[in-house]
Amino acid sequence: MTTAEAACAEDLVEVAGVRIQLRRGGSGAPLLILHSELGVPGWLRAYEQLARHFTVYVPSLPGFGQSARPDWIVSVRDLAAWVTWFVRDLKLSLPLPAIGFSLGGWVAAEIATMNAQVFTKMVLVGAAGLPPAEGHVWDYFIHSHQEALTQAFYDPATAPEYAQYFGRAWRPEDERQAEQNREMAARLLWKPYMRSHTLAALLRGVATPTLVIWGREDAIIPLDACQRYQHAIPGATAKVLERCGHLPEMEQPSAFVKMVLDFLAPGT
Amino acid sequence: MVKEVYFFTEMGYTAYPQDEARRRGFNNLMFPNEHFSPERAQQLYGMYFDELQYCTESGFDGVMINEHHNNPLSMMPSVNVIGAVLARTTRKGRIVFLGNVLPIHDNPLRVAEEVAMIDILSGGRVVCGFVRGLGQESIATNANPIYNRERFDEAHNVIIKAWTTPGPFRWEGRHYEYRVVNPWVRPLQKPHPPIWIPGVVSPESVRWAAEHRYPYVALAPPLHVTDEIYDLYDEVAAQTGFTPTCDQRGYVIRVSVADTDEKAYEEGRHFFWQLGTSFGVAPRHWLQPPGYVSRAATQSRREQARVGSANVTPGGPSLSYEEAHATYQIVSGNPGTVIKKLQRIIDVVDPGSMIFWGREGLMSHEVAVRGIDLMTREVIPAIKAYQPDREKGRQRRAVEAAAAR
Repeated sequence: MTTAEAACAEDLVEVAGVRIQLRRGGSGAPLLILHSELGVPGWLRAYEQLARHFTVYVPSLPGFGQSARPDWIVSVRDLAAWVTWFVRDLKLSLPLPAIGFSLGGWVAAEIATMNAQVFTKMVLVGAAGLPPAEGHVWDYFIHSHQEALTQAFYDPATAPEYAQYFGRAWRPEDERQAEQNREMAARLLWKPYMRSHTLAALLRGVATPTLVIWGREDAIIPLDACQRYQHAIPGATAKVLERCGHLPEMEQPSAFVKMVLDFLAPGT
Repeated sequence: MVKEVYFFTEMGYTAYPQDEARRRGFNNLMFPNEHFSPERAQQLYGMYFDELQYCTESGFDGVMINEHHNNPLSMMPSVNVIGAVLARTTRKGRIVFLGNVLPIHDNPLRVAEEVAMIDILSGGRVVCGFVRGLGQESIATNANPIYNRERFDEAHNVIIKAWTTPGPFRWEGRHYEYRVVNPWVRPLQKPHPPIWIPGVVSPESVRWAAEHRYPYVALAPPLHVTDEIYDLYDEVAAQTGFTPTCDQRGYVIRVSVADTDEKAYEEGRHFFWQLGTSFGVAPRHWLQPPGYVSRAATQSRREQARVGSANVTPGGPSLSYEEAHATYQIVSGNPGTVIKKLQRIIDVVDPGSMIFWGREGLMSHEVAVRGIDLMTREVIPAIKAYQPDREKGRQRRAVEAAAAR
């Protein structure tokens, strides 16, 4: 295990009717990661740290990465239904803990509104789905992918994983992959943009213990939405990372993982 | 053989500050509309409508109109409004809508009703084109570009059915749903106005047009790309079971005619009035929002970019004015020169109809009118009388293309 990349197994597997790209690493009880609208850049430092405590499952959701894009998945709730089939078909021991990032946070929240038996606990990180009371969610679709990546970090210059994954020269296949992720994001999120008109009401019925994590300087989904999530979900707690943007797992991996472990596995 | 010649102008809003656009690096979608003056627009509309009127009275077979949004390129945010005005102000000539931007409509029956109404008002002079719109227009109207082609297809189907099938009937599609389709006003032309499909290069659109036996109108592309377009059209037509004639081929070409070659060449620069381009400058992610451009079209566009196009311009001009002449994206000259150049195009394409994009940018009204006179008196009669030699034209293109490589 000399590099972080070497620590995960990566396969194309047929799960729940869709051929998907699945990264997994570590050992012990399962932990489900639901990625953001930007897809999975690789086996991140944060995943590697979590893999010391869990078997970490990072599927590229249908339409993202090398995963197939079935015609029928056109909304976040469609995607949420598929994720419940995914954990069932992989025969993961249920319920299990989950971390959802931005789009993935919204997916996790939707699942929790429908079924309290899927997640033991969930961590929502910079989650999409609820509009901030003031301001707007930054619009991916009038900006370029490169602009989005810069916008997603508080300080791209000092984030090692920005340089590793995004700051280098892009190959044509990187461009194609980014565009494909963007297409799936547009399918799910174009209108209403990055928000649900019903989620706030549905979250009142959530019984899953929830931690909401936000970067204070999140310039994609303003911090205000953090409070909205915390207030909407009964008993939810919220933690804020300083000098941190929309991708805490890449910008502040150690501090982020500590927050997650304190919640998911206190005492470790 | 060219049977009909139409006149076209984008009706550009020429009074916006080019320096401001240059500073921002784009001149549409989010270019602030504080730079629009309704008073100036009133003058410009007056001039443009007068010129179109004059075209229909002086020898053109009609005029082409179109639609763009959030864009000083064009003051035609509704093709149907422009068409309705022309239906009552002109007395003859076809009004060629190229066209209604179908995917941006949530109620395509409104398009069916308006076009039917204009067809009646004009005495059956409407040619009804349908388009997908520029990428920016999906954003401007917030119509998810992922579904642009699906919505185009379904909106077309519901409009045609509304025109050809007695109502009332139900429509339950993926993007459109109607309890009662039963528009009272239906077109004068039977079964409906002719449908034309304009486009630049997208192979899906060419294929779709051929499958529906609709004429395909090439929008001023580099001449050698037209081979690709019409070869594909012919191939699909053969599979569909018909042999295309010139009636299935339309061609839009920028034309600058003046009394001398030198004058026409200088006036032709007005076609590239938008920061050195014809269609304006926008970042690629506006021109091509997610899902708007297919993989196949990306290939085709790459090819077009290789030869240089005056149409697709992310980030700035992709070709010089001189290159635009060399690739026949504009022809200029005195009438004799222009006739010879158009005959070159006609030999390659053999279009049944040509559309002269005949005035643009800051070209003065007097120059535009002089150009129209030279077109109607000399150029149009000559090209309508010309017998194309498509074999010769294509051979010559092949030799030139090989030399260019």
